[in-house]
Amino acid sequence: MDAILIMEMIAAAIAGAVLYTVIGIAPGTDETAVLAPVTLVLVLAGFEPIVILTFFISAIVAKKLTDSIPVAIAGIPGGVMSAPMVEHAMVLKKHGVPDLSIRKMASGSVIGTIIAVPMSLVLASLIAPLADVITDYSNQIFFGGAVFLALMTKNRILALVSIVPFALLIQGLRHLYWGIGAVPEDTTVFTSFFLGITIGPVILKLFELLNKDIRKKLPRHNKKEIRVNKHKVEKGFPNPFKILDKKEIGTTSFASVMGVLTFFMSPVGMTIFLGETLSSRVKDPIKRAARAISSMDGLTNAAYISGTLVPLIALGVPLSPTAIGPGSALFNAPPVFTLENNLHHLLSMSDFIIATVIGSIIAIGFTFYITIKYSQQICAFVFKYIPHEAMLGLFFGLVLMLSFMDAGWINIGGVLLISLVAGILHRWGVNYGVQFMVLYAAPWLVSVLVG
Amino acid sequence: MVNDSGPSSEKNEVKENVEIWEDVVNIKDLLISLIISSITTLGGYLIAPDTPPKPLIFGLIGAIIGFIISSVIIKPKRTFQMMDEEK
Repeated sequence: MDAILIMEMIAAAIAGAVLYTVIGIAPGTDETAVLAPVTLVLVLAGFEPIVILTFFISAIVAKKLTDSIPVAIAGIPGGVMSAPMVEHAMVLKKHGVPDLSIRKMASGSVIGTIIAVPMSLVLASLIAPLADVITDYSNQIFFGGAVFLALMTKNRILALVSIVPFALLIQGLRHLYWGIGAVPEDTTVFTSFFLGITIGPVILKLFELLNKDIRKKLPRHNKKEIRVNKHKVEKGFPNPFKILDKKEIGTTSFASVMGVLTFFMSPVGMTIFLGETLSSRVKDPIKRAARAISSMDGLTNAAYISGTLVPLIALGVPLSPTAIGPGSALFNAPPVFTLENNLHHLLSMSDFIIATVIGSIIAIGFTFYITIKYSQQICAFVFKYIPHEAMLGLFFGLVLMLSFMDAGWINIGGVLLISLVAGILHRWGVNYGVQFMVLYAAPWLVSVLVG
Repeated sequence: MVNDSGPSSEKNEVKENVEIWEDVVNIKDLLISLIISSITTLGGYLIAPDTPPKPLIFGLIGAIIGFIISSVIIKPKRTFQMMDEEK
């Protein structure tokens, strides 16, 4: 490996970190929507595979670090993955310490990254021999994941019963689009459905605003009062191991290990399940919330890195939600990459290690520093100048555009339909994790039902 | 977040905001923002040259423009106070 290539990788990592630090702060930027297209452009532009991987790793680490900021200050998920953290971040916001959430989450992210990089490399070499078997049963694995997560919810029977109807809704729309020629028969609409599930709760609420009776009954509020405690700026480079206490480091590390091991599951589902389990016994609400968000952020980061690296190194097919979504261009971007000729085939183990290490170190160094040092300034700015309405509008606009992009005008209606159903299911306690797993398993599930 | 600390001390202010996704919004302002963002984002996508990934990039720029316009014309429904740490 020559010096020029290393320089190119470092440059790519810096570009990824800077770009996705900014994008991560913007609320509601879905990981798939913001990572996949940019990666695709780089692939098609003919960059070296190893440079693309460095960029991608740096981008996901930076994105995962900063997407905690909108959660902490506004309760808007900075991405799909941070949706489960909203509830806990809200507790901290209510107690006037939103900047504490940011620091705890960012530190959790760093621990997740540190654990995930070496573990993913080891795990990948362990499961490489099983590649064929795992690839053959990916659908069953996704379906099993949906059932498992459904059993973990409070209303498990409701969650279980909702699996098949929800799968039918998804496949029904896809077959409709194929039937009327909205998309070619080899195109499976995915990203916009995914987003539709994500904003389901908001869409449901917007629909309710259109209902006069419901609108009249809604509780009315004054302006929201927010008090933020000033804290002194730390000197020197922030240390994630000091921001988190010992117990938080413990649960965060455990959650991160689990995140790596369950790379093939929906990270959102695992995040909800583990985050709640690990924090439920803590009494003090602030401590419980801090414990939950640090371990959740560690887990999402770890799951993201392993979800990218393990399928890439061991399998060569996108068999994890991360690989199917944000990382899809690394597996399949014709004519440059195909499932028979992608990063899996082009890079050696040492290439993977070097790219991952350079990407993650540069992203942590840059983004963690900015996030911790300036979280309070960022908070103050957003609270004072950014109206919640604009954030909701931004999210809504992006969903409209991606719906249109996937399958034309008709899909805007389709995505609204999915959002409405997903929003009701969500309100009833069928969490995102179950819904995402169903989204992945739907084609197989429906074909099995037909027999 | 069920109630907002009882009857508010702020005088003469009509309670007219509703809570969506853990923050309060004014329904009319929300409507304005949704319309602006939809037009700029989808508009950006539609006017872009039809060679991928340009439509997506134009759309994202449109989304940012819509966000900025909404932020300028709509006031946040929050009162913000910085307090010195007690200990």
